[in-house]
Amino acid sequence: MDTSFDITLNTAVYAPFAFAIIIAVLWKAIGSKTAAAIAALSSGVSFVSALAACWGFYKLGSNMAMFAPAEQLYMLPQLCLSGVSAPMLFLAATVSLAATIYSLSLDIKNAKLYFVLLLVMQGGLCGAFTSANVLWMYMFHEFALVPTFIAMVIWGSAGKRMAAMQMAIYLTLGALVSLVGIIAVYAVTGAAGFNMEAISAAVVSKPVSQYWQYYIFAMLMFGLGTLVSLFPFYTWAPRTYACAPTAFAMLHAGVLKKFGLFMLIQFAIPVLPLGCADWSHTMAVLALFNVIYIGFVTMAQRDVKLMVSYSSVGHMGMCFLGLATMSVLGVGGAIIMMFGHGLSVALMLMLSNIVVNRTNQWDMMKMGGLYKRTPVLAGFFIAGTMATVGLPMFANFWGELAILTSLWSFSPAICALGATGLIFSAVYGLRAVARIFMGVPSGELSKNISSIADISGAERVAASVLVAVLILAGTCPGLITKPADVLLKSFPAYNQGK
Amino acid sequence: MQSLNLLLLLPLLSAAIIVLFLRRSKWLGAILSTASAAACFAVAVSILLGDSANSVFKSSLALFALGDFTFNVGLFYDSLTANMIFVVCGVGLLIHVYSIGYMDDDPAKGRFFAGMSFFMFSMTGIVLASNLFMMFVYWELVGFCSYALIAHYADTEVAREASKKAFIVNRVGDFGFLLGIIFCYATFGTTDFCELASIFWSFPDKASTFMGLLILCGFLGKSAQFPLQVWLSDAMAGPTPVSALIHAATMVAAGVFMMTRLSHIGFLTGEVLAVVLILCSLMAFCAGLWALGQNDIKKILAYSTLAHLGMMGAGIGLGAGLAMFHLTTHAFFKATLFLVAGSIIHACHHQQDIFKMGGIFKRMPVTSIVALVATLSIIAVPFFAGNYSKEAILATAFAKASQTGSALYDTAFALLICAAFLTPVYMGRLFFNVFLGRPHSKEAEEASESGLFMTVPLVILSVYSLGGAWGFVGGFSWLDGKFSGLLPAASTSFVGSFLAENAQYIHKAAGYDVFEWVALLVTLAGIAFACLVYGRAGGSDPVEGKMPALYKVLNKHGWFDDLYDWYVAKVQQRIAIFLATFADLFFIELLCVRGSGIVGAVVGQGVKKLHDCSANSQVKWMVAGVVLVFVLIFA
Repeated sequence: MDTSFDITLNTAVYAPFAFAIIIAVLWKAIGSKTAAAIAALSSGVSFVSALAACWGFYKLGSNMAMFAPAEQLYMLPQLCLSGVSAPMLFLAATVSLAATIYSLSLDIKNAKLYFVLLLVMQGGLCGAFTSANVLWMYMFHEFALVPTFIAMVIWGSAGKRMAAMQMAIYLTLGALVSLVGIIAVYAVTGAAGFNMEAISAAVVSKPVSQYWQYYIFAMLMFGLGTLVSLFPFYTWAPRTYACAPTAFAMLHAGVLKKFGLFMLIQFAIPVLPLGCADWSHTMAVLALFNVIYIGFVTMAQRDVKLMVSYSSVGHMGMCFLGLATMSVLGVGGAIIMMFGHGLSVALMLMLSNIVVNRTNQWDMMKMGGLYKRTPVLAGFFIAGTMATVGLPMFANFWGELAILTSLWSFSPAICALGATGLIFSAVYGLRAVARIFMGVPSGELSKNISSIADISGAERVAASVLVAVLILAGTCPGLITKPADVLLKSFPAYNQGK
Repeated sequence: MQSLNLLLLLPLLSAAIIVLFLRRSKWLGAILSTASAAACFAVAVSILLGDSANSVFKSSLALFALGDFTFNVGLFYDSLTANMIFVVCGVGLLIHVYSIGYMDDDPAKGRFFAGMSFFMFSMTGIVLASNLFMMFVYWELVGFCSYALIAHYADTEVAREASKKAFIVNRVGDFGFLLGIIFCYATFGTTDFCELASIFWSFPDKASTFMGLLILCGFLGKSAQFPLQVWLSDAMAGPTPVSALIHAATMVAAGVFMMTRLSHIGFLTGEVLAVVLILCSLMAFCAGLWALGQNDIKKILAYSTLAHLGMMGAGIGLGAGLAMFHLTTHAFFKATLFLVAGSIIHACHHQQDIFKMGGIFKRMPVTSIVALVATLSIIAVPFFAGNYSKEAILATAFAKASQTGSALYDTAFALLICAAFLTPVYMGRLFFNVFLGRPHSKEAEEASESGLFMTVPLVILSVYSLGGAWGFVGGFSWLDGKFSGLLPAASTSFVGSFLAENAQYIHKAAGYDVFEWVALLVTLAGIAFACLVYGRAGGSDPVEGKMPALYKVLNKHGWFDDLYDWYVAKVQQRIAIFLATFADLFFIELLCVRGSGIVGAVVGQGVKKLHDCSANSQVKWMVAGVVLVFVLIFA
């Protein structure tokens, strides 16, 4: 790889940390406006660099290596891109940009701390997906996780303590179990380090016995599954997203949550294919609970933010279904789905927060008729809903299509049950649009409807960024699938099924 | 043939420009959208009159590939496409022009015309799709357009519920449709129409009934047939041009188009065709009855659309060309009728009750004459377009019934004859009450003829309602054979060649000459019945007055809505609330998660108590430990 790739990839990951340190060092000297400007600059720099790095990687076409390493920067952890990490890095950078821009429109107490935490989280997210070393992936993941917890306690809404506590316990436990799994892989294979390529090489020369694969994969599946809210370890997710400050919720639900899936796709399944094959039916059944059971639960929600949060839990089931097939098509579909869902859920969390702030009302039954006052907001909300529902031209559709297509060869019955997700998401998604924006304002809202303003400038830019990338990926899914295809084909684990 | 791409790009571009820049414009959006529709029509006509109009064209472009799976974005053009593309672009353009007049006082014109352009893009996409996956993509997009345009008057309760209902009911159908497509891909490794055709033409046994039935779900949703018909009558909450374009002439006919395409390549087995035939014949009959229980002019027409879609569906079951023939003529006369309804509603300040109209003939002569032509066409008066297509379907049903003697065709024929009798009855009821007699409301008294934007498309459409079928049956070719009747010859060849073949089959059927008279008599009987019952145009429904129980049965249209409402409110929502409260909050959240937290806390408290740090307890613990070690060593 050339130097521009080295520079851009390192910048994408380390710039947010560097800018966070700058804000911390200049703490006394700058005001909150300046801190916000620095954060915005940082997200912009990180976004542009990530875009350049991913484009550099994409340009290689079928010459792509499995892992394209960038030169190490001093003593910092080495970074590399792969067919899965490139879209994830771009997702992280995009959602970070949108979350930061959205934060500019808010009036935040203790804003300097807020932006420092936001930047650390962004750096952690970009690093988690691009680190060449499995242990460092884990460390970066913690860098992203801890700010969420702190931010929730400081800026969260009602019920934040309980939610933060639950999230911390769940995710720490999940991460811990998967860490044990990672160490077990290292111990069993006798790899020369935690480097991704070293472990891959060790597995080839000395495959893990089926006995160990079975148990280690179970640890990784449930450990990482907890991070992705796999049934029944999902209860932390809805309340976290409803309580956390929106920018952090966007980053968590949109990006950080995909880390578990990312690790399964790039690490656990390729290293432990027999273990995955043993567990794949269990995984598929649990994922169906995510789709159907959570689908019903989502339909019953009246709180708009909880509705969006539950729906994100449901959609993770779709990704797990793709993983269960252990095929290039299914896992590739899961990658598109992760990308599309990350953008759409971030968009929906942001928009639902805007709706709640504008109306001072969380109950959708008590809203109505907003579209006359907020036509642009309504337009974005419908776009976000349609992306979640899986309308073509948005990335999510291709993910669902690929997953369901590969699922038929896995099991037609599971495919049919999984496809009910299409109906569930339409029911709750359109119900929300109808109750919030259509009809006439009800109750309290009808009195102060005239004071409600449409989406503001910063909010509009943030939403536009997310929608634009959603549509870009929705019209050119090849941008995601091409690198993914190259990587997945090179793992023997994904070439057994159809 | 590369200009086929323009048919997709122009309306898409227009929609994008309007959404991004012209949302609040007064007229620019309308002009841009109409211009793109006009350009599309010009492109379509130039293709249809071009040298390669009768050829088959196929292009393909890989959108993405994962493993063995490649998603192809392809265009496919053959004689079936040629037929549909003329209908979509032609009717589409006229309705765009009409909309300029109809939506003149609407504040959200930008949104409306963006939706119309996006619809034209998606609908053309369905027509040009070269494989089932691609068709599904556009299938979903037209569903979205339908949703967005039904919700145009989003502040009304009806529009809000109807738009949601339309999308969700269609999703239920698409669920089966998608599974069918995936099943097809898993079985044959392709969903490309040409490749499937070569498989089925060499090995007809490879067609699967189950696969066909799954695909059928998509048709039942989009074309609103049993048991997914409930959304169409509610969809009338949208602006009338939308009802005309999407919910009468083109989108709902997309299901028929898709089934014709598949039946043509041998995808559908005899069993699937039998199911389609019987379901759709039943719909043709029932919807005709239900139309008699409605007072809203648009709802009457909506049920009439259901009935005619049923008739097209029966055409699929009898022979694919019949369905396309009726689809084409229906697009002309039903679009005319909806636009007439829109013209009247516009003139009567959004009064839609037919019993509050009356005497329109004197006040809106052009609209009324157009309406008369379209009405004669729909009730199948000889020489009018509707007569040819409807009689072709009836005659084939009759011929199949008399030649095979199977109960299936007998039943279908009986149902279709009843449907043919009902059409003049409900259309007569509408026509007499709206146009004749005296006005029954102030709005109707003040009605005056609509402007040129509305009347010119109406007149053109009425010409097609009269003569739209001539090109298919008579071989009236002109302009070096490039035109056949009123349509480009390329657009008539699919149906024309089918009809020529079919005619020989029909004429061999015993008693065919009697049938021809029966068909005419049924129509006349229907007209006579309508005159007798509804001819007085007295400002109320005589059936409602004299036989309220019967009227209620008609009005309830089979209690399907009540059944589904009951399911949603009493079953689905209760399951959802039960799971959300009991299973989610109580069992998992409270009992399991918090419960394990409480267990941990209690154990922790207990252990803490044991360690009170006194010398006494420390000695006790030490002794207990020593004992334990000894036990472990020696045991």
